[in-house]
Amino acid sequence: MLGLKLPTASASSPSFPRNTLNSTPAFLSNNFFSPICINVKPLKPKSKSYSTSLVKASLQWNRKPQLAGETPRVVVITSGKGGVGKTTTTANIGLSLARLDFSVVAIDADVGLRNLDLLLGLENRVNYTVIEVLNGDCRLDQALVRDKRWSNFELLCISKPRSKLPIGFGGKALVWLVDALKSRQEGSPDFILIDCPAGIDAGFITAITPANEAVLVTTPDITSLRDADRVTGLLECDGIRDIKMIVNRVRTDMIKGEDMMSVLDVQEMLGLPLLGVIPDDAEVIRSTNRGYPLVLNKPPTLAGLAFEQAAWRLVEQDSMQAVMVEEEPKRGFFSFLGWS
Amino acid sequence: MGSATIWGLRFEWISVEDKSCIHNFVSGSSSGRRISQFRRRNEMSTRCDASRQHLWLKPKFLEATAIYVREPREQHYYETYSWFAKIHEVVRSPLPFLTNSSPSKFGILLCVAIVVLVTAVRAFVVRKSRYKRPGSVADLVRRGQLRYDSRGISKPLKYDDPFNNPLVKVSNSKSTVEMCGKLYRLAPVTLTEEQQAIHQRRRSRAYRWKRPTMFLKEGDSLPPDVDPDSIRWIPANHPFATTAADIDENLAQTNVYQKRGVPSRIQAEHEALHRKLEALENEQTLNRLTIDPTNGQDFESPLKSHINSNAQAEKRSINNQVSDPDKVESSSASEEKPGL
Ligand SMILES: Nc1ncnc2c1ncn2[C@@H]1O[C@H](COP(=O)(O)OP(=O)(O)OP(=O)(O)O)[C@@H](O)[C@H]1O
Ligand SMILES: [Mg+2]
Repeated sequence: MLGLKLPTASASSPSFPRNTLNSTPAFLSNNFFSPICINVKPLKPKSKSYSTSLVKASLQWNRKPQLAGETPRVVVITSGKGGVGKTTTTANIGLSLARLDFSVVAIDADVGLRNLDLLLGLENRVNYTVIEVLNGDCRLDQALVRDKRWSNFELLCISKPRSKLPIGFGGKALVWLVDALKSRQEGSPDFILIDCPAGIDAGFITAITPANEAVLVTTPDITSLRDADRVTGLLECDGIRDIKMIVNRVRTDMIKGEDMMSVLDVQEMLGLPLLGVIPDDAEVIRSTNRGYPLVLNKPPTLAGLAFEQAAWRLVEQDSMQAVMVEEEPKRGFFSFLGWS
Repeated sequence: MGSATIWGLRFEWISVEDKSCIHNFVSGSSSGRRISQFRRRNEMSTRCDASRQHLWLKPKFLEATAIYVREPREQHYYETYSWFAKIHEVVRSPLPFLTNSSPSKFGILLCVAIVVLVTAVRAFVVRKSRYKRPGSVADLVRRGQLRYDSRGISKPLKYDDPFNNPLVKVSNSKSTVEMCGKLYRLAPVTLTEEQQAIHQRRRSRAYRWKRPTMFLKEGDSLPPDVDPDSIRWIPANHPFATTAADIDENLAQTNVYQKRGVPSRIQAEHEALHRKLEALENEQTLNRLTIDPTNGQDFESPLKSHINSNAQAEKRSINNQVSDPDKVESSSASEEKPGL
């Protein structure tokens, strides 16, 4: 039976990204039975022999974000400018939400340059898209690609790369889709995330049509900010009032050296509440290549944690009250004693 | 058990020698023999694994026996090359080694202990490597062929808090946060509702926009009673959009809402085929019942023309086929019929 348990541990590892410890690698490897270890990562399968109730008592595992607002929450993730991280945000927030036990449908509305499926590692499983649903070649439930890692996460692509979408009713079709999802047998999904294409042309219009809230992704540079402001204006004109922003690719070291606008500068320019601040992290690219969203990484990375926090705030319709602006200068030798 | 192991080892060792014996036997000249002998010795010493090595590195008595065992044999096959004699020698050789009880039992015990140790280590290593073995169930799960949750391999994530975990620690005063081992200062967000409203007003002045509801190709004429603001002009060569709505909207909508059963188009195609087939069958039975000479001719004429056209096609050039569309059509129709 031991033979069964160990592969179990290795298999489940991606699902426990946050339970591991940081600084001391020795921690991770052996001493399973040290009390500190149990306090710190109680859900590691290695500590299975301990009753879960004891484990729960030692940490607040049960804290769960309180879902605010009506379901399904239809959130469009948009930016105006291309390549600022809309798709990355959709994938990571989507999977974070799924891991928090909400059912999520992510819609890749990027008609021409679809790549959400790649980021999620689901590219080989997309057989049908919304186009086929509209044509009657398949049913909606057949076009939904269920993630096998988190089965309450589903992906829906609008179209295959080379098919053309009759643009006049892309928006209408999305409204129907949302409506059909709402009334489906398994129950309405809690979140419908729409990955919006770049620009403000037909694809954008299609993507925002069914949404009632928006996440604006921007980077702290003026080109991206100008587009973000424009897009925010359009969203507001369209009646989407609940707009929050995610500032992506932030480098605290550059901000400290005054080479990059700070997050608070960005906020001053756009006047939008902050949903999250995502640091620039090489892991993002690595996880893109792997088709394995960052938030599933173990041990967690800085950007992954930031995405998880953003997802949490999205659930609670909360916004950031404080931002990490600069790296604290290295403190004295005695700082660990609390004498700074 | 120990002796048995030693026996096994001895025989292993013997088999190594045997191979080289054959080698010797084959190589003719005396120089070749010497080389191969040399090689054999090297081979043996390198091929000795830990368990065997200790036989060579044993206290003197072992060495003595080893030499004792080896010496006559080598002489033997240098002189005679007799295969049977060699085997005989070889099989007999371990016996004096074991029966010779004059050296202390300590050596043998040490052998046994080391063999047992090596076996244990080997078993441990093998078992460990089994968990990393490619192609295990864990691998299937990792590749997404199997679900974690349905196999009970992983428990769903318990809600540990992305704001308070071993990697994210907010200081008591909420002025600093330690994330992934790095310390950041927390700067409070100062955006007020008022400021947000000011930005909204600014944007509503700057961007006046109405979501287009009508999509027209560039160059199309403006329909009479529509608001020009609600029209979106799509370039005729737009890469992935088409304005021609060649899909029936009502049908598309019912397709989206369809919950179960065969998708409508598949159903329609199936029914069409069915009808065609039925019609064909009816036609055939009718033909058989009422032997109408003209009808019969009609029915047969496509076949005839098919044959004709085939024959003619061989004679004619490809260009000319087009000039006789009726025949080509009828021939293709007759080709389809048997397939149904
Ligand atoms: N926080 C980050 N750190 C480092 N790289 C990032 C980060 N966020 C995004 N990237 C990289 O930026 C690139 C673009 O990201 P992504 O595809 O998510 O943008 P997008 O807005 O969806 O683009 P498009 O407009 O083409 O749809 C990707 O290669 C991604 O790896
Ligand atoms: Mg994208």
